[in-house]
Amino acid sequence: MVAPLPLLVPLMPHVTAVTVRLAVRNALRRKGEALLVVLGSLLGTAIITSSFVVGDTLQATLRDQARTRLGPIDEIVLVHDATQITPAVQRIIAKPLPQTDGVLPEITAQVAVTSQQSGSGPAHSEPDAFVQEVDFDAARSFGNDPSATGLVDGGPTPAGTEAVIGADLADSLHVHPGDRVQVFAYGHTADLTVRRIVPRVGVAGFHPGFASRAPNLFVAPGTLEAMAAGALPGSLVPEGRVLVSNVGGVFDSAGPSDAVVFELQIRTAGLGGIQINDEKQQTLAFADQQGRNFSRLFGLIGSFAVAAGVLLLINIFVMLAEERKAELGMLRALGFRRSHLVRVFGLEGTAYSIVAAALGALLGVGVGRIVVQVTEGIFSQGRRGITGLQFAVQPSSLAAGFGIGLLIALVTVWATSARISHLNVIRAIRDSPEPAPARHGARVAVAATAGVVLGALLLAAGISRAQPIPALIGPALVAWCLVPLLTRLMSRRYAISLPGLGLITYTIAAFSLLPSVFGHSDVAVFFVQGIVLVSAGVVIAITNDDQILWVTNRLSASGGGLATRLGLANPLAKRVRTGLLLGMYSLITFALVFMAVFAAVFQAQAPRVTADTAAGYDLRVDSSPGNPITAAQLQQHAGIVAIAPLIRSEAQFQSDPAAADVTQQLTGFDESLLAHGGPTLSSRDPRFGSDADAWQALLTSPDLVIVPENFLATGVGPVRDAVHVGQQVTLINPDSGRRHPLTVVGLDGSLDPAENGAMVAARNLPTLVDSTSASRFYAKVDDRAEAGRIAQELQGSLVANGLKADTFRSLVDDRLDVQAQFISLLEGFLSLGLLIGIAGLGVVMVRAVRERRREIGMLRAMGFASSVVRRSFMVEAAFIAVQGIVIGAALGLVTGYSVLSNSSSFSDESLPFTVPWLALLALAAIALGASLLAVSLPATQASRIKPAVALRISD
Amino acid sequence: MPEPILSARGVRKTYRTAAHDVEALRGIDVDIHPGELVTVMGPSGNGKTTMLNCLSGLDDIDDGTVLVDGEDIHALPDAERTAQRAKRMGFVFQSFNLIPVFTALENVELPLLVVGTRGKDARALASAMLERVGLVERLHHRPAELSGGEQQRVAIARALVAAPAIVWADEPTGNLDSHTAASVLDLLFEVHAAGQTLIVVTHDLTIGARGERVLQVQDGRITADGPPSAVLPDQPRPPRPPRSTVRPNRPPSMWSPPYRSSSP
Repeated sequence: MVAPLPLLVPLMPHVTAVTVRLAVRNALRRKGEALLVVLGSLLGTAIITSSFVVGDTLQATLRDQARTRLGPIDEIVLVHDATQITPAVQRIIAKPLPQTDGVLPEITAQVAVTSQQSGSGPAHSEPDAFVQEVDFDAARSFGNDPSATGLVDGGPTPAGTEAVIGADLADSLHVHPGDRVQVFAYGHTADLTVRRIVPRVGVAGFHPGFASRAPNLFVAPGTLEAMAAGALPGSLVPEGRVLVSNVGGVFDSAGPSDAVVFELQIRTAGLGGIQINDEKQQTLAFADQQGRNFSRLFGLIGSFAVAAGVLLLINIFVMLAEERKAELGMLRALGFRRSHLVRVFGLEGTAYSIVAAALGALLGVGVGRIVVQVTEGIFSQGRRGITGLQFAVQPSSLAAGFGIGLLIALVTVWATSARISHLNVIRAIRDSPEPAPARHGARVAVAATAGVVLGALLLAAGISRAQPIPALIGPALVAWCLVPLLTRLMSRRYAISLPGLGLITYTIAAFSLLPSVFGHSDVAVFFVQGIVLVSAGVVIAITNDDQILWVTNRLSASGGGLATRLGLANPLAKRVRTGLLLGMYSLITFALVFMAVFAAVFQAQAPRVTADTAAGYDLRVDSSPGNPITAAQLQQHAGIVAIAPLIRSEAQFQSDPAAADVTQQLTGFDESLLAHGGPTLSSRDPRFGSDADAWQALLTSPDLVIVPENFLATGVGPVRDAVHVGQQVTLINPDSGRRHPLTVVGLDGSLDPAENGAMVAARNLPTLVDSTSASRFYAKVDDRAEAGRIAQELQGSLVANGLKADTFRSLVDDRLDVQAQFISLLEGFLSLGLLIGIAGLGVVMVRAVRERRREIGMLRAMGFASSVVRRSFMVEAAFIAVQGIVIGAALGLVTGYSVLSNSSSFSDESLPFTVPWLALLALAAIALGASLLAVSLPATQASRIKPAVALRISD
Repeated sequence: MPEPILSARGVRKTYRTAAHDVEALRGIDVDIHPGELVTVMGPSGNGKTTMLNCLSGLDDIDDGTVLVDGEDIHALPDAERTAQRAKRMGFVFQSFNLIPVFTALENVELPLLVVGTRGKDARALASAMLERVGLVERLHHRPAELSGGEQQRVAIARALVAAPAIVWADEPTGNLDSHTAASVLDLLFEVHAAGQTLIVVTHDLTIGARGERVLQVQDGRITADGPPSAVLPDQPRPPRPPRSTVRPNRPPSMWSPPYRSSSP
């Protein structure tokens, strides 16, 4: 990287040429040192790049649904009653539809499908199979690219008892061409023979919702209509869909969607039960949004690690400067200006930074790959599962990772260079320490006063505009600008410690002091909070660390005591360096402990959430909307003592008229849900004296609704933009477009493990939406029966209804497991920062050994055993690591407690605080163990230094 | 004649590099007796410091034996050789080599702590020793806050505080001006007066002339061994600094080894 620079030297002015030559020679002189510097600084870039890569992958995977789930499909006209599809199609194709190149009608139903038990294995079932009737020839000519439809090799349209099966369903049913499957719908059973398997692409891969699996089955036209002829009340009858393809390819055809939707609305106006979606546009927008969300979340979590990387970089350059102090002082003595020194040091640092940023960006791709793999494992368990993540790296992400990493490194390098250039020539040449700071002059006092005022203004602005970040930065500015003013009144120790302690107290208490400002903080706020807290904690620690000397001075003169004295001497003497190392450890530990607190809290609340959700029942029983079970069927089952029927539907909701509408679950309930206590609310309208009162109010008023805490929430991480009690939301009937204002009177927890979405009275549902399905029940089992066993029995006996029965505890556990694993993933990602800290400590110790060679030689000459020298380095590393871990853990625990007790960022409920002892111990043990391991090599090197060689005693 | 405190026979040392080998010591034979003041002289690059390193056990040798109080120090494992150094030797180097993060007092304590002296006692003894070298006002100053002469006095105090049998000084005045150098030498030579063995490596004839016995080292061999008058050409006597600048108001009796001596 630096090699070509000398070629330019002849073209430069003399002094510039010398500075370049110096920079290049210094960089090349000690390749090992250069390697350490590069290694230390590349990790930050790697973390930044990997967060972009995670976003790219999520985005690419979700965007790929445009190909696998939609293909040529751009808009969908949903006709809720399939019998009404013909008039809809006639209207749509009455004249050419502008900017489109295809219209394809199909009949669909969600029903249960099983494979027939063969001699070699058991039967398999799929309760939510998506059965379709579509003309294959028409489908292949739909759009401008037959291969995008997924039916190129599908053969003719299925006829009679033939079926063509999608690859995902074939996989879950373990069937092959020639095998038989059974379709259960509307009380009838159809035995079909699988003729062919088609891939999950385009029309063949289309299914409603965003799930990444498509359990599709194509049957002969008329099959569903025949089966639905005797459909029971409450069944969701077959639906019709008119698929529309815009002109253009798979990914570039969504442009005219708004116009096409508008035209479709005009043409289908007056037809009841019609819903029009710009499906591809939504898919691509969702993909882009989620990609951005994940980039942001991982980027923010990674910020802790990046901040640790910046501290490491500063540390490395401070050490480098100390090593070169005499050389730089001599250059100044020779007449080089400060700007020349900045250039010498800056150029060398720039060379390291460029190499480190390039390597870091590449390493980031690898880190991103690992994160993606772990993410896939976690997400595949979710309701909106994302499997088959497509690892993707956008060149722009690589460039952004490289650019941001390089920028951070360059700012660090040049700022450090500028600071170094202010060295005193004589002190530099004589290698004398900088004198203690003198009392600050009037100019500093004026600047400090201005800083205090500015900080106060920031705080005021933050409070008045409910902006948490200025409300955190303002007090920090006030506290640190007070230091030079307070040194006029008191000792430096108190002048630093008092504002520092005040800042920590405020920052921790901010969540309870200013709930309106910090109530719904996102990850960025916690990052700033971490930086403010840790910097205050570290500054207080290094200011008061010398108090530890009275302990060390009383240590015994035994080997251990001696090694401890030696080991503590350097970190206590070199406070800036110690502070930077402590900062790295504390920052990462703070974030890890903070997250561990939440992981522990979430896990610990499983029994309570189960009780709150279950409403006194034991099982949630879902059946296929196309072949639902009846209350009578369920009650006949042995062990079931009570049931509460729920009516399921979907509707669009808006938090305010300007917001985009979001499709959410809508569930209707009746008095039976409240018969055994009813679900517990996490918050409710104060007008109601109890949760039961709030639920009862819904039964009588059609304008009230109870929703989960994360209803209409956007993004990932802490709940953001969610609704609150008393807020009015608008429900939009997806079929008619009619709008109903609803007032939120309660929130029923943050997890919604039962997946009910918005809750309203069942009797009011018909006034809100047209299409409903009576396919969900809560069931209470006999006290003597075991709920899990009853659930299994139900599933085994009611396969034809596509029945799924789950205990509430298992639903809660599933939800919490996904949450816990996601936190684990973030913790793992954050642990990269710990790696930086540990690697940084190793790098600093390697350099320390070199720096202290003569010192070590003298100790050895005086008779200090090599083991004492080795132990002294281990003690030094342990002192820094333990102190950093303790500061970070303490601040993390206290902050976690404060946030849980006072903030609604994670839940409206006051979550019970739990100290994650196991995680704390594991973190401390791993961090300390790895730190000692990283330092053991330089410590051993130090102990092996030959005294005569180290002292460089030569004649 | 008492038994020698240090006896070297056939000591050889070669520095090997990728490019070439340098035979630094080519068979050193020497006996040094308790209480002797020996100056090692010779031109630069002829093996004086290598001899100090090898005879004191700071560096390994390729051949020969070095007996200290009758014990072959190069036959000992490193840990034991290190322990021997701690008990029997003190060192003063040209570049002081004080531990920069320790105060003068803490630096002087170190040799006592390493031999197991209790912390409180070590502190008292180190304080007393620094008082004796005239640095009672500088106990809590770090090396960077001391002048070169003061630093070397701390180094001497550190070398003497555990009352070692042998004190090695390698160009102890090399970094000092003549005035300060003279006072430092006075300090060192008073050590000898108190009965400790002092071996000073120097290329300065005026310093060499103040020894009782001079070893002339040339090309890795001892080429002359005898009193200064026999080994060195006539030297003008250096001007002696006023005693008051060295250690004001101190009786000579204070320079007897105060704690322990392993010399017979």
